[in-house]
Amino acid sequence: MPSESASQFPAAKGALAGVKVLDFGWAIVGSLTGKFLADHGAEVIRVESTSRPDMTRVDRRYSKSSHTSLDDKPWFAHLNSSKYSLSLDLKNPRSREVLDRLIAWADVVNENFTPGTLQRLGLDYDYMKTINPDIIFISGSLFGQTGPLAEEWGIDGTGAAISGRLNLTGWPDRVPVTPSSGIYGDYVVPQMNAVAVVAALAHREKTGRGQYMEASMFEVTTQEITPAVLDWQSNGRLEGRTGNRVVNAAPHGVFPCTGEDRWCAIAVFSDQEWNDFVAAIGNPGWAADARFATLEARKANEDELERLVGEWTSTRDPHDVMAYLQERGVRAAAVQGAEDIIDNDPQLRERGFLQTVEHSVLGPFGHQVPPFRLSATPARLRPAPGMGEHNEYVATELLGMSDPEYIELLLEDVFR
Amino acid sequence: MNKGLLSGARALDLTDETGFVCGKVLTELGIDVIKVERPGGDASRMIPPFHQDIPGVERSLYWKAFNTGKRGITLGIENPRGTEVFRDLVSRVDFVMESFEPGYLERIGLGYEALRAINPKLVVISITPFGQVGPYSHYKGSELIAIAMSGVLNNTGDPDRPPVKESLDSGLFHAGIAGALGGVMAYYHALMSGEGQQVDVSVQEVAASRLTSSILAWDMERVSLTRDGHKSQMGPTSTDWFWECKDGHLFWHMLGGAFGAPANKALSDWMDEYLEENPLREVTDWMKFDKAGIPQEQWDRFADAIRPFFLRFTKDEIREQSLKRGTNATVANDPHDLLESEQLRSRGYWTRLEDPVLGSLEFPKYFFQSRDTENFSLTAAPQVGADNEVVFRDELGLSTEKIDELRSANAI
Repeated sequence: MPSESASQFPAAKGALAGVKVLDFGWAIVGSLTGKFLADHGAEVIRVESTSRPDMTRVDRRYSKSSHTSLDDKPWFAHLNSSKYSLSLDLKNPRSREVLDRLIAWADVVNENFTPGTLQRLGLDYDYMKTINPDIIFISGSLFGQTGPLAEEWGIDGTGAAISGRLNLTGWPDRVPVTPSSGIYGDYVVPQMNAVAVVAALAHREKTGRGQYMEASMFEVTTQEITPAVLDWQSNGRLEGRTGNRVVNAAPHGVFPCTGEDRWCAIAVFSDQEWNDFVAAIGNPGWAADARFATLEARKANEDELERLVGEWTSTRDPHDVMAYLQERGVRAAAVQGAEDIIDNDPQLRERGFLQTVEHSVLGPFGHQVPPFRLSATPARLRPAPGMGEHNEYVATELLGMSDPEYIELLLEDVFR
Repeated sequence: MNKGLLSGARALDLTDETGFVCGKVLTELGIDVIKVERPGGDASRMIPPFHQDIPGVERSLYWKAFNTGKRGITLGIENPRGTEVFRDLVSRVDFVMESFEPGYLERIGLGYEALRAINPKLVVISITPFGQVGPYSHYKGSELIAIAMSGVLNNTGDPDRPPVKESLDSGLFHAGIAGALGGVMAYYHALMSGEGQQVDVSVQEVAASRLTSSILAWDMERVSLTRDGHKSQMGPTSTDWFWECKDGHLFWHMLGGAFGAPANKALSDWMDEYLEENPLREVTDWMKFDKAGIPQEQWDRFADAIRPFFLRFTKDEIREQSLKRGTNATVANDPHDLLESEQLRSRGYWTRLEDPVLGSLEFPKYFFQSRDTENFSLTAAPQVGADNEVVFRDELGLSTEKIDELRSANAI
């Protein structure tokens, strides 16, 4: 797999070097929050347990992974790069001897259990604050930590439905469609959580004060459709699903190309862009028609316009359409699939979209890099940890336990 | 309560719609974000929809949505006199956000290296469709174009129709938040080390970052996941996610094992009250039900019974029964549902912002909550050049004559 990247320009340290994170994050939102911090240099200790392993440690989709091992799932590897793993049985009372010291050690605590869970374990923010008064604490959830729906649970599809995004996705005459395999909030929310954490770290540098913060998928993703919320208030309009059409452009859509299920996208906004487009496709007779002379006219005759544009694209390869039209100043793209973006896209390759990391079980393969590039302190990925891989390191080196103390806890079955 | 986490920091926001959200996140962190527009106002002020459907630079609901909390000045940065003022501003701020075509700022002498020479601690956040370098970096983009290239578009839509875009500007929104994350990381690094840097965000790459399942499927098994309508392919079987009810749509998804058991049983029991034949009864122990192993044929039989069942009920009935029974069915909200949502209301999510043209409308107040600091949008988006006087005269200390001179040179 192609992936040259940041490693050609190694930085001495990541942007978050020296930051210590106690990470109870799980599934996608919690795991990614910690990953963004870890890939940029924070020391992130993931606390987990063999008795309730993360779903991504057992998810065998798209891998030849085993039923028995918790350490060979590429899904987990992608989401947990650069972290340390401490396996700890939170139900064992003596786990508290390790946890209390970790709470004192940490700058940041990350968690996304169902609201109320840490409270029931006696491990909520108020408790942690008694041990570490300036700790920075972030919770992620679906609906928020308070309110009548706080303890309802769900997944990304729930987020799509509640945020209003779903009803804006798809065709006007059909049931709304799943937004891109059902993944959005799961990737947007951890970025917001990480924003909050890093801003709180800077705040603490200046004020000495810690912070309790929480973000919900409901609230973060509802922000995305604010224009529709204002349109309702201002104009009483529910625009709903419009396929690929938008009010201020035509053509604006996805058109057929040669090859099986291959498509290109074309977006023409202003009259100048329309003129450029018409010139690019060789000034066909129909383009001079009054039906297409202005944006208003093109919107009124959009079905016919799309049919004619589709005739032009349908004999061409999607990447050829893109290159040809872009050279002539037209906004155009190939609709790319996984094979295109992983194996063939020279732009993503040059950016180092995937960084090759040597995984202890799976061998070397391309891992997802946080999707932004810091010029002076680029992300550097280390492989995701095996379950409990760093128990001894955390107990003895990080927390300074003596060997007999560590062995005693080991025999008490605390690390499982 | 104290002001936002990063109050005291300052930023210049030169972005168009590609980068609006980044500045909105920063302003909610308490940063003084000044939107820098060309004289007369940026072209992005003409993005629909408009207040009362009347186009105008102060009427774009799109522009107003994503520029709350910011102040606004006008400045022609290409104009030699404007350049001089801009350089002065750059020396006083912590962040510059921009979304120009890569190379444009270099051409007018304001590229990253030039800005760094003015202010070594500066964080420059650049958000563009494809990123700063590479063979596509000069391609023209938009939401649709960038997500087409990312793989996201290909994964969305009904199999018998072309791929279809998602929601409004999901890719730009996500990229704005990615820019803010890179930006605050770079700011923290500058605080600790004195070293600034450039944050390079590509909308295409940000959108592609969501595709872990497609990446794994191709990378590990050479399987191409394709668009699946209202379903989602999680493993070998494609199962329905979204359903129609009497007056709208809802999300209900069958999960396996202990995660899904209570909701699966609750739905099956509910169906039993109405149906003679209920295929969900085939499952005797939901705790042991392996969703990943369900054959497509069995799922299709389940779906054929569930589909007409949900159609019996209204959105309100689904909401009520879901809470009562624990079916975990979630109604798809429209904007008015969001404004009325008891959950959002109880958390103080909506806030009324006064705008001289729009009047008083409700906007989202925050991205996240804190017990100790207010990370909120507190003011409506700025009018064109609303803060010119304050910024140029009071903060930069320019004389009235100098300001008049800039005005007559069309720099402000």
